Amino acid sequence: MAETHHVSLNNLAHVFTDGRTPLPALDDVSLQVPRGQFLSIIGPTGSGKSTLLRVAGGLLRPTDGSALIDGEAPAEAQRRHDIGFVFQDPALLPWRSVLANIRLPLEIDGARRKRSVPDPEQLIDLVGLSGFRDYYPHQLSGGMQQRVAIARALAFDPSLLLMDEPFGALDEITRSDMRYELLRLWSRVESAGRKTVLFVTHSIAEALVLSDRVIVLSKRPGRVVADLDVELARPRTQEIERSPAFLDYSDYLRGLLREPVA
Amino acid sequence: MNRTLHTLAAQLLPPIVAFALLIALWWAYVEWKGVSIFVAPTPGRVASRFFDDPGYFLRNGGWTLWEATLGLFFGSAIAIALAVAMAHSRVLERAIFPLAIAAKVMPLVAIAPVLVIIFGFGQTPKIIVAALLSFFPMLVAAMTGFRDVDPRALEFFRSIHASAWSVFWKLRVPSSLPHLFNGVRISYPLALIGAVVAEWFTGTRGLGYIVYSSWLGTRTPELFASIVVLVVIGVAINVVLSLVEHRVLFWHESVRSTE
Repeated sequence: MAETHHVSLNNLAHVFTDGRTPLPALDDVSLQVPRGQFLSIIGPTGSGKSTLLRVAGGLLRPTDGSALIDGEAPAEAQRRHDIGFVFQDPALLPWRSVLANIRLPLEIDGARRKRSVPDPEQLIDLVGLSGFRDYYPHQLSGGMQQRVAIARALAFDPSLLLMDEPFGALDEITRSDMRYELLRLWSRVESAGRKTVLFVTHSIAEALVLSDRVIVLSKRPGRVVADLDVELARPRTQEIERSPAFLDYSDYLRGLLREPVA
Repeated sequence: MNRTLHTLAAQLLPPIVAFALLIALWWAYVEWKGVSIFVAPTPGRVASRFFDDPGYFLRNGGWTLWEATLGLFFGSAIAIALAVAMAHSRVLERAIFPLAIAAKVMPLVAIAPVLVIIFGFGQTPKIIVAALLSFFPMLVAAMTGFRDVDPRALEFFRSIHASAWSVFWKLRVPSSLPHLFNGVRISYPLALIGAVVAEWFTGTRGLGYIVYSSWLGTRTPELFASIVVLVVIGVAINVVLSLVEHRVLFWHESVRSTE
């Protein structure tokens, strides 16, 4: 077990066939993610980033190839509540307060069996929403709603977090703040080992600030065109975005993304 | 508290003013033209008939309201149950929906006598007519409601491995509430109409019965007073529904935008 990668994608291919013409989204993507790694997936629109995440999370069956979480099918990990999802849209339930939204996964599982789960009230503090537990989503800003969605994804303390452009809908300033907030959160939840994060984004800066490793996907159908280790010291602060190393990485990725890759 | 009063005033005032204006016009017209009392009494006559024996109108009004409410209750219960079934099976939907449309287009005046033949002169035929009339709008509201679910929320439920049961109770039902409220808004007055019409044919009490018998006896002040009571009941239903809606659907755009 120790040698198994946390997330293992093997020769994944996916073709959407629900439209009029079949739409290939992923083509022969293989990826091994060790436990505790923060991995960003970056690529042009339509490169299958979200598809890859959905396959890894068991929301989508790949047309070909296999996805394994801890050596098991993703659906199995999902059933054990070992995967937390954060989507671009927080998709909170408007009739539930902040606390009730965060509790939702626990309620749905009925028995909080086997493992102990974090106290939802503490999750509220963790994402910086102390004092807002009884607020409703419509009373919160977009950034605050996304914090609730993150807390909700942590409800079962999963070891794998799948984030699909979670800050994509936020304004520039909030977005930048949320990056460092997420980093703080990620390095704080360290007791049981760091969580593995698969983070889909359009933003090169976002990918570099957050990640240990960045995967670049090509245009449709998505293939891995680059696999980059980001060797920037942690903990990272806003300063890092002006460091020469950061700018080098950034130029390199920009070059890859600009090239029309077949 | 202050806000509740505020909402109440905002809800009540405009209809009251419009209503008063209508009455003034009616009064002026009857006086000016010298309309015969057998055709149309003045509002004064109508009011004095009402205050001669308010209990008479309130008792009968209450009776009709009770029948309409029971009808709405049963009609909605069946509609919601069928909508749940149809939401889960396309085959059932194809089987049931045409029948529902048949129930909708069936002319009310034609079935009331049939129901009397089957169920006699008691309360049952009135409740059935009220239920039949409230059924269709509630069915459509519930069907739309159970389907009008945020796909992103649905995807989240899938991502936490939620059962169909959880999705239904924790997502579909709350999402459908705004639609169900609209359904009740449409159906309640229809149920009231249904109860009144059924009372014409088979009534021994209720506002429909009074309307019918006072029309036969050309007791126009009584006839008009009954109509006014019916209108008041209808308005009261709307006000109560609005208040309840503000409490229950505080999170929904339709309510938030009026605040």
